[in-house]
Amino acid sequence: MQVFLQTLVGGLSLGAIYALVAMGFSLVYRTMGLVNFAHGDVVMIGAYVASTFYLSVKLPFIPAMAIAIVVTGLVGVVIEFVLRPLENKDFDLMLIGTIGFGIVLQALAILIWGATGRAVKNPVQTGPIDILGARVRAYDLVVLAVTAVAMVLLVLFLQRTKRGVAMQAVAMDHEAATAVGIHVGRSNAMAFAIGAGLAALAGGLAGPLLYVAPTMGGSLGIKGFAAAILGGFGNMPGAIVGGLTIGILDSFSAGHFQGYSDLVTFLVFTVAIMIRPTGIFGERTVNRA
Amino acid sequence: MKLRIPALVAALVFAYLLPYTLDSYAIHVVDVALIFALLAIGLGLVMGIAGQVNLAQVAFSGVGAYTTALLTTQAGLGFWTAAVLALLAAAAAGLVVGLPALRVQSHYLGIVTLGLALAFLNWITNTTLAGGADGVSAIPVPPLFGVDLSDEYLYYYLEVVVFAVAMGFGLFVVATPLGRRLRAMRDDPLAAGAVGAEIPYLRMVAFLLASLYGGLAGVLYAGLIRYVAPESFSVANMFLLLAMVIVGGRQSLWGCVVGAIGLSLIREYLSDFSTYAQLGYGVVVVLMVVFAPTGLAGVPARLMARRRREQARAVLQPFEPYHPIEDGVHGQGALEIRRLSMYFRGVKALHEVSFRVEPGEIHGVVGPNGSGKTTLFNVVSGLYKATAGEVLLDGRVISGARPYQLSHLGIARTFQNLRLFRDLTVRDNVLVALDRTRTWSIWRYGLWQFGVWQQDRGLKQEADRLLGRFGLSDYADALPPSLPYGIQRRIEIARAMAVSPRVLLLDEPAAGLNGDEVQQLARIVRSIRDSGVTVVVIEHNMGLVMSLCERVTVLASGQIIADGIPADVVANPAVIEAYLGGESMSAEPMTIPAEVQK
Repeated sequence: MQVFLQTLVGGLSLGAIYALVAMGFSLVYRTMGLVNFAHGDVVMIGAYVASTFYLSVKLPFIPAMAIAIVVTGLVGVVIEFVLRPLENKDFDLMLIGTIGFGIVLQALAILIWGATGRAVKNPVQTGPIDILGARVRAYDLVVLAVTAVAMVLLVLFLQRTKRGVAMQAVAMDHEAATAVGIHVGRSNAMAFAIGAGLAALAGGLAGPLLYVAPTMGGSLGIKGFAAAILGGFGNMPGAIVGGLTIGILDSFSAGHFQGYSDLVTFLVFTVAIMIRPTGIFGERTVNRA
Repeated sequence: MKLRIPALVAALVFAYLLPYTLDSYAIHVVDVALIFALLAIGLGLVMGIAGQVNLAQVAFSGVGAYTTALLTTQAGLGFWTAAVLALLAAAAAGLVVGLPALRVQSHYLGIVTLGLALAFLNWITNTTLAGGADGVSAIPVPPLFGVDLSDEYLYYYLEVVVFAVAMGFGLFVVATPLGRRLRAMRDDPLAAGAVGAEIPYLRMVAFLLASLYGGLAGVLYAGLIRYVAPESFSVANMFLLLAMVIVGGRQSLWGCVVGAIGLSLIREYLSDFSTYAQLGYGVVVVLMVVFAPTGLAGVPARLMARRRREQARAVLQPFEPYHPIEDGVHGQGALEIRRLSMYFRGVKALHEVSFRVEPGEIHGVVGPNGSGKTTLFNVVSGLYKATAGEVLLDGRVISGARPYQLSHLGIARTFQNLRLFRDLTVRDNVLVALDRTRTWSIWRYGLWQFGVWQQDRGLKQEADRLLGRFGLSDYADALPPSLPYGIQRRIEIARAMAVSPRVLLLDEPAAGLNGDEVQQLARIVRSIRDSGVTVVVIEHNMGLVMSLCERVTVLASGQIIADGIPADVVANPAVIEAYLGGESMSAEPMTIPAEVQK
């Protein structure tokens, strides 16, 4: 039972990171029909910026994160500008174009921060907390709480603010949105910036859990994308559920199958997608037939 | 054709002389580039030709290489026996990775194939059987016909021969019926199914082809390096391969090869400045995708297109009527709809619809927008599975069959919003439909290529006859999107007639046509009927319906409100009510699910 609970909480906190990555994927996809395979590398940039301000500049963790979110959001605006011709285009082109951009980001990271990674020290220095006899890292709970807050804020933004609703309108029909006076380009840039900000949040939070390195985006990006698909691509609650599912799956398969955890996770994922191609909550497609 | 033979000779001479100019390191680089070229052909076939996203191509070569390595070092088999078994193993992997393609497409297929590739990598990195991260070394490579293959110069010639055969086969596939079906499936899977292409099998065939090329590349890699390790088959290499194929031009196998050889040479050249090389390679990929989406292979075509505009204008020739059948008695083509219902989550698009179409009849289906006419066609042609009821063709229940099965049974259709294969020429559009063979007949590609070639030649003659009959000969080599709307409509009818149907379903064939074109359409439809085909037509142009149809069925809100000869039907009060009064007039334009409308 203790082992079970500990594995579960470990999986949930990793899953929360995947969920944040998945939310970024989904937000960008449903607003502009762009499947952004560079998203994992945007996460990596976020992780580096956060850790730089935290470790080198010696800011406290929270301001460091805030700076990382802003900086990465700006990077997102640049990416959106460059990749604008690919929006709503052929999937093969999007795939390789965004992967190409990811490679550029990785190369830039190596030039700026070097090829070797860095470990980030845990900002929550209290000991493990006892819950029902299981010893849980306090940081895991922080990650979960931050993810929950981020999701609530995002949903409120999309549904309660004028800009958020405008963004939804662009997602449904960008021509009609233009016709009623929404600046589609600006709305898309903002969606991309928010997506990149979520990526920075994910990267910053992942820093103390994983190891910050130029290649860290690969696995985070792929698992986050799988999470978005599993939950229903373009669906925000789906991204959360998908992320937590993949995280738990990962953590339990690592417990039971050791090195073979990726094998098990991806086989289960494949079977799940074949049984339910539209994901748990169904795809919220950008329907522009 | 005149240029081809000298070009081939020049290529052979170049390939023969190349090693004499290279040092031992350069020849190694070339050997590796050729292996990438083989992989790229496979990826080009599955992604560029068949439109199936496949991020497991490098993993297929991993399966080939590891099987060779394990069978030679652990099971003690000879290299060539192991190589054959490795190809079979890769093919099996291809079929497994292809399975999800039956359920999902596009980015879903991308992440699933990538996930399976990662699962494979994870397995070979961890299992002690395959040496873990250290891999397997000391793969024995025996001499072949007395040629010492441990010499990289001589290995180069082996690779060139394998490459030439593999490339020749790939080009042959693309140019013949199988390749045309794959390309048709890429452009529009629904329309391809409707003309008889067996989509599920074709998707598996595409993955099978890709995995065979992958396996071949893996075997050659194992023989060249004589050592295999997981990092050779990493995701980074998969992305590199993808970049090669996209930069080269995925719809052209030559483009894929040029991209593969070019990028591997450049990568090697820049390997001393790896980070800047990586940066440059990323920037080039992004720029290529944004500014030259068809890749290098598309550049000549773009330049040509500019020149082609100046050519003489093509003319639409008049339609040559079919020969009427003897004594005018129609033996087959009876269509019966029995209590057919189609519900979409509670929306009753069709509710208990029953009517009969006699052999040799031109039967009209009319009704206000949203009354369920196109839904009816979609059910009859197999795109939708009916909620209840059945459809019978000549007394045989055909509802529930897949579109391609219905096509082979003799149902053909056109689409309301034109679904021609965009990137296929008009001739190829017709050729896809003319090919009535089933997918299993592709065994001939392996064993009896001459038969394929002969069949292809026969089909082409038939296609030219058909295009001539429909007056489309001048447009045979044009791409449909470049043609006027009326001509595209006529091509769709020609394509539907290419399957030699018993029943032809026409969905709003007169939409967007001018008066003259409508007259021609009426002539074409009558002639098609006289040749022994039953015609069912959905149409809003009441003048055309009145003059063309022998019987008319009127639908409103998914139910039949009148059925009979046109003169009776237009006098029917319920029909007048549905058309002129009531709420149907203000109903929204008919919408059908996006997948069909597109």
